[in-house]
Amino acid sequence: MEPISIAMIADFFHPDVGGVENHIYMLSANLIRRGHKVIVITHSRPPDRVGIRWLLPALKVYYLPIVPIASGATLPNFFTFLPYLRTILIREHINLIHAHASLSSLGHEGILHSHLLGVRTVFTDHSLFGFEDAASILTNKLLAGTLRNVDAVICVSHTGRENTVLRGELFKQSDDHPSRLVVSSNVYVIPNAIVAERFQPGPLKPTDTITIVVLSRLAYRKGIDLLVATAPRVCAAFPNIKFLVGGDGPKLIDLLQMREKYLLQDRIELLGPVKHNDVRSVLIRGSIFINTSLTESFGISILEAACAGLYVVSTKVGGVPEILPEDMISFAEPDEDDVFRAISEAISIVSARKHDPFKAHERIKTFYDWAQIAERTENVYDTVMKSEQRELWDRILRTMQLGRYAGPIYTIILLVDCLFFLFLEWWMPRENMDFVTHHWDHRQFAAIARSRTNN
Amino acid sequence: MSPVTPPWEKVLWKKQPYPDNYIPEGALDLSLRKNPNFKPYTYWPLVHLSTAITQHLATIFIFLCVFVRLKDHSLDPRVLIFLSLGCFFLGYLVWEVLQYTQNLGGSNHDNESNERIRLDRVKTFKSSILIFLALMSLSPVLRTLSAATSSDSIWALSACLFLLNILLADYGSSSPVIQGRHERLTSVLSMNAAISSSVVLASRLTNDLAVFALIQFSVQSFTLFPMLRRRLQVPMQTLLTLILSISSFLLAIPLSSTIAFLVLFVLLAVTMLAPAVLVWAQKYKNEIRGPWDVAVPKLN
Repeated sequence: MEPISIAMIADFFHPDVGGVENHIYMLSANLIRRGHKVIVITHSRPPDRVGIRWLLPALKVYYLPIVPIASGATLPNFFTFLPYLRTILIREHINLIHAHASLSSLGHEGILHSHLLGVRTVFTDHSLFGFEDAASILTNKLLAGTLRNVDAVICVSHTGRENTVLRGELFKQSDDHPSRLVVSSNVYVIPNAIVAERFQPGPLKPTDTITIVVLSRLAYRKGIDLLVATAPRVCAAFPNIKFLVGGDGPKLIDLLQMREKYLLQDRIELLGPVKHNDVRSVLIRGSIFINTSLTESFGISILEAACAGLYVVSTKVGGVPEILPEDMISFAEPDEDDVFRAISEAISIVSARKHDPFKAHERIKTFYDWAQIAERTENVYDTVMKSEQRELWDRILRTMQLGRYAGPIYTIILLVDCLFFLFLEWWMPRENMDFVTHHWDHRQFAAIARSRTNN
Repeated sequence: MSPVTPPWEKVLWKKQPYPDNYIPEGALDLSLRKNPNFKPYTYWPLVHLSTAITQHLATIFIFLCVFVRLKDHSLDPRVLIFLSLGCFFLGYLVWEVLQYTQNLGGSNHDNESNERIRLDRVKTFKSSILIFLALMSLSPVLRTLSAATSSDSIWALSACLFLLNILLADYGSSSPVIQGRHERLTSVLSMNAAISSSVVLASRLTNDLAVFALIQFSVQSFTLFPMLRRRLQVPMQTLLTLILSISSFLLAIPLSSTIAFLVLFVLLAVTMLAPAVLVWAQKYKNEIRGPWDVAVPKLN
């Protein structure tokens, strides 16, 4: 594929830490390696992370002065982002924007505005949502409105795709079977990946003690109640088991109480919050990893643990059953007895030394690799760039189909957005803009660096 | 090209000879479950459940009719006091009978629980005397409490308070096993709204005895009666609903036939029409479930 200019848009990016943040960074880095130009657009982190920054390798990040309201996400207001976005897309000669995360309103706005400049749009959904509570109903409607006119959607797991397709109404009724739903062909599944080199297994442990590692936010959604219920049973049934729990959160108190009640201070070690850099050093202290999540879209922490050579026990929720072959993981229903059964199974497998950490590491290396993920994403970009862009009239018609009330509302937003864009074209003409003429050239940089060191 | 393409699997770790946007036909229907725990409501159980609301509304209508009669002096306050005393003793008798039958059913009436019941009785007796006296001594104060406020404001205020009372009231029929020790905040708020409403209404009455009678009546109908009502079984509930509805209608007829028929319509609509609407609306129910839902952990 010919090199293009891509803008990643998301509320979530470094210096914040998290799955989405890391995904965007790794994907951008690998796309740059494949010869594309990538910039990231996100909101600023006062006091000092403002303006334009460069990250290695040659990733330009725009931190825009938009105030986040809750957990790093900005308020959806549909229009205020347009002046910034227009300027950035024009001066950076962007061909395609890639928005991330369904709760990031910057991404949604980016998809809404980009067609005005002839820029193509791709959206990646990272999380699962239900359909029951008021918050989900509201955000799902927002998502459906945005995804009406997006060019391609990427999901991180097959379960995630089913979820996104239903939430974003990305299906239509089949022509021959009216009862059957046909998913639009622009929804792709491309998983996350990990940097396998960072999760080398540790040396083999000669002792009989088996350490079980738990690394998770200690919250209800992570199923810590299941852990609190099963840990004492496991400790009572197997005298050679130790627990190592890393993470912080509201359920820490429950864990502490459990430890005190059953007098397990010497068997259960609580580490508190663990930095992402230290994850490997915690993981390699154990040989079994437990994930008790009640919902999980992809489960990157499971992959990291499996890559570091740990045998995994996980609840069978969300996209978790898809990520590992069955001989590397024991599944349990979210039920105290079944989790206990799965842990016992894992202990017997590990103590019989049937699980080889190094072999597991080598296998995972072939499953998930950022270079391949970047290539697959590039294929999506290629398909999008070659496809025909929707006309405004087509967009209006599609938006009107959203529903009796949502349809007209979104259409009005779409039309006002067009008028706002025309006003900006008059108010800030393109001729007066500062175009980016100098791009990061890695070869040139290397040459200069070499000549400097030689002098 | 390979002669046999392997079947598509729903896994991410395997490299499959399918494009990333491939979805096998019907894959969406497989994981999608619609209305899995759906138990359709049937009409008559809903009617039984709605009787609690009907009773509550009927009580409010009766209370308002009594107030109007007290205000235009067509009802002697002494009659009301004796009537409500009679109701109180009748209600207490029913309460005791229920307690007795329930204990028989439980068959664990040892000395300790008998002792507790006796103590409870003494406490009830003491507190009812206390409330009686307190109300009697407070009624002159209550009569003049909001006397300076204009009548329009009083009507509006009491209407709002009664609406609040209706909205927040606890209509759940607690089974005799769960003795509601832990009352919810909303039901307490609801009770307070009803009592405040009767206090502001009482300021429109002319003599202290009428104020006393009204407040006493309101305490009975809005705090004691709901407690008793919740413990009654289904046939008794139906009978009670009928009695209350008919008496609210009969009490309203001499005042204004329009209002009386409005009352009748409201009660009928709540008991008969609303459940029918709910049963009809169920065909629009569309609950979507799938593997993305947050699992509920099962703990022993």
